[in-house]
Amino acid sequence: MKAAKVISIARREYIARVRSKGFVITTLMVPAMMAIYAVILPAMTRADVDELRITVVDAGTGIGAALATRLSENRRLPFVMQQTETVAESEVETVRQQFSDAVRNDELDGYIVLMPHPDTLAQGTYYARETGNILIVGTLESAIETTILENWFAGEELERIRAVQRADMETITVSASGEERGGFGVAYASTMILGMLLYITVLMHGQQMAMAIVEEKNSRLVELIIGAVTATEYMVGKVLGVLGTGLTQLSIWLLMVAITILAILPALAMGAAVAEFDLAGVLDFRTLAYFSIFFFLGYLMYATIFAAVGATCDNIQEMQQAMFPAVMPVVMAFMSTLYIMTNPNSFASQVLSFFPLFTPLTMFARVNVAEPPLWQVWLSIVLLAATALFTIWGAAKVFRATILFHGKRPSIAELVRMVRAAA
Amino acid sequence: MSKEIALRCSGLTKRFGDKLAVDGLDLEVGSQQIFGLLGPNGSGKTTTIRMSLGIYACDAGEVEALGSVDPLEVRDRLGYLPEDRGLYPKMKVAEQLAFLGTLRGLSLREARHRAAQWLDRLGLGERAKSETNELSKGMQQKIQFAAAVLHDPELIVLDEPFTGLDPINVRLLKELILEQRDRGATVILSTHRMDQVEQMCESICLIHEGRSILSGTLSEIKASYGESTVNLEYDGPAGALSNLAGVREVRDSGRTASLLLDDVNASQDVLRQLVDRVRVRSFELAEPSVEDIFLDKVGYVAPAGADTAAPEEAVQ
Repeated sequence: MKAAKVISIARREYIARVRSKGFVITTLMVPAMMAIYAVILPAMTRADVDELRITVVDAGTGIGAALATRLSENRRLPFVMQQTETVAESEVETVRQQFSDAVRNDELDGYIVLMPHPDTLAQGTYYARETGNILIVGTLESAIETTILENWFAGEELERIRAVQRADMETITVSASGEERGGFGVAYASTMILGMLLYITVLMHGQQMAMAIVEEKNSRLVELIIGAVTATEYMVGKVLGVLGTGLTQLSIWLLMVAITILAILPALAMGAAVAEFDLAGVLDFRTLAYFSIFFFLGYLMYATIFAAVGATCDNIQEMQQAMFPAVMPVVMAFMSTLYIMTNPNSFASQVLSFFPLFTPLTMFARVNVAEPPLWQVWLSIVLLAATALFTIWGAAKVFRATILFHGKRPSIAELVRMVRAAA
Repeated sequence: MSKEIALRCSGLTKRFGDKLAVDGLDLEVGSQQIFGLLGPNGSGKTTTIRMSLGIYACDAGEVEALGSVDPLEVRDRLGYLPEDRGLYPKMKVAEQLAFLGTLRGLSLREARHRAAQWLDRLGLGERAKSETNELSKGMQQKIQFAAAVLHDPELIVLDEPFTGLDPINVRLLKELILEQRDRGATVILSTHRMDQVEQMCESICLIHEGRSILSGTLSEIKASYGESTVNLEYDGPAGALSNLAGVREVRDSGRTASLLLDDVNASQDVLRQLVDRVRVRSFELAEPSVEDIFLDKVGYVAPAGADTAAPEEAVQ
């Protein structure tokens, strides 16, 4: 194999891929969708209420007025408090009918009924048209809780209780290499995001490359190329070109993330939210190192399989059909990660993470969520690397046998025969 | 002539499934000449070329290209214009040519330099930055030819290089091919165009059903046939040339015809018969054309009802 020729093929493929519309579209679409998911959606749940007209119905707890005051002072939600009703317990049902009618007629957004409770002083019930907004329900609940506590305690005692209320539990992952902050949520997010990156880039560019190979076969370009370079050089060049495309896209995305965090978010005065997010917890060195290994080997293996499929096909329709079984391992591996993240060390997860066609996503998920024994991780990497090499070797043979072949797509049995004959 | 051998094939065999595409073919191409590879469609020419260039492995036999038994080892000294050829439709012309040059071992810089030179020579200098699909078919074909010779190869194989070209471009391409020979390259011309072979080739090999059925220098082959052909120009009714005594075969084109004689000495008898039947405008004794030899060798028989005498009847 001559390096200069492989580079020449790779370079052309890379330029063609990077200049393609598909590349530009995915490069912009993926971050846009993630931005919608991460920033705009939560922002929308906060912004979609201009005002919340709420009435407190106090059936003799005595804290109704204090609760109304607390809510009207809330800065995160625009509560517009109506006159607090103090009623006898026996009248509650009658009064409730009125308020429910008001809610139905959109004269009111909701109301809270406070019933006396022997142990907790008051039992709150929220009646409203929409009760699904966690932010609203959570705010009301903690407002009632705080009001009750203020009613019972005062001064330093109250301060201590409030402090206890505010304290969150921390999650620390204990592993052989030490202990680190961040629990399931962080590992889950980074696994999903990084897994998605591999998934999207390899499917997108791998199929584009396979399509390009089919087009080269179709336009009879291939004989011009195959006369000058061997089938192996041609294929390896193609795969490397498409690997470069994936890495370029990944770099652009990482750059976009860095710019967003370092420049755009502080400018939008959302620095606090970023600090809470704790980027270092998501993208630590270990995660990135494993991601690099699994991305590189996985991409190489999947792209090679796609290239081989492209070589056996005569037209695009045929290729799309033939692509289905080749895409399946990537899809199944991605699906498996959902299971693995909740059961990282179960027997099934171990099996899934050792199957080389799945390893890039499944073992990466295990490594991220738990810390599997090091020998398992490296054994899977060695198996994956061996499989990637074997795929390249096999695909080169398939190329040699089929790249100049036109006509009906060979069956697997015919393919094996052709590969044998060409070897 | 003490010429080296540019390409030697011996016992070359290739089988596709049940079909024997090339069947023990022997071929020897002396260097620094234009060599014609002839044969009807499906005779195994392209397969032979592919094996000679190392694109296909042969099932049996040997290839020796530019002194190497493995053509892949010398592939940067080979140039190839396939019959099935295409270009990247969206790629800029100059870039495309340079890319194909790098595949034959040129550095990118050198390939770009030569691509620019060739585009100027082909009169396509202004189109260097055009996308290939904006070019006419003829222009694309010239670019493909340039791609085959960009790296100054020592052995150039051109498979049907003239198809689809207008007469002006045919002439241009011919000159470019001759120039390659004068530079010292060996050119193998695989074609159906017998007139081109006649004009350009020093030696030929005729392939039929995967075998070489005739090879040698064109002059030797022609001489072996002797002046056994009459090139006739005439005015006369259809069918006037059938059943001429002493004529083995008639290839009638309407106003001109080639008559293949049984015997070199039969010409005067044939002329006498012709004068009675048609108005003879020109009667020339000649060696057979390559086309006649080709048709003779592959055993062409005119379709039934065509205006050609069956040889046996003509004798009796």
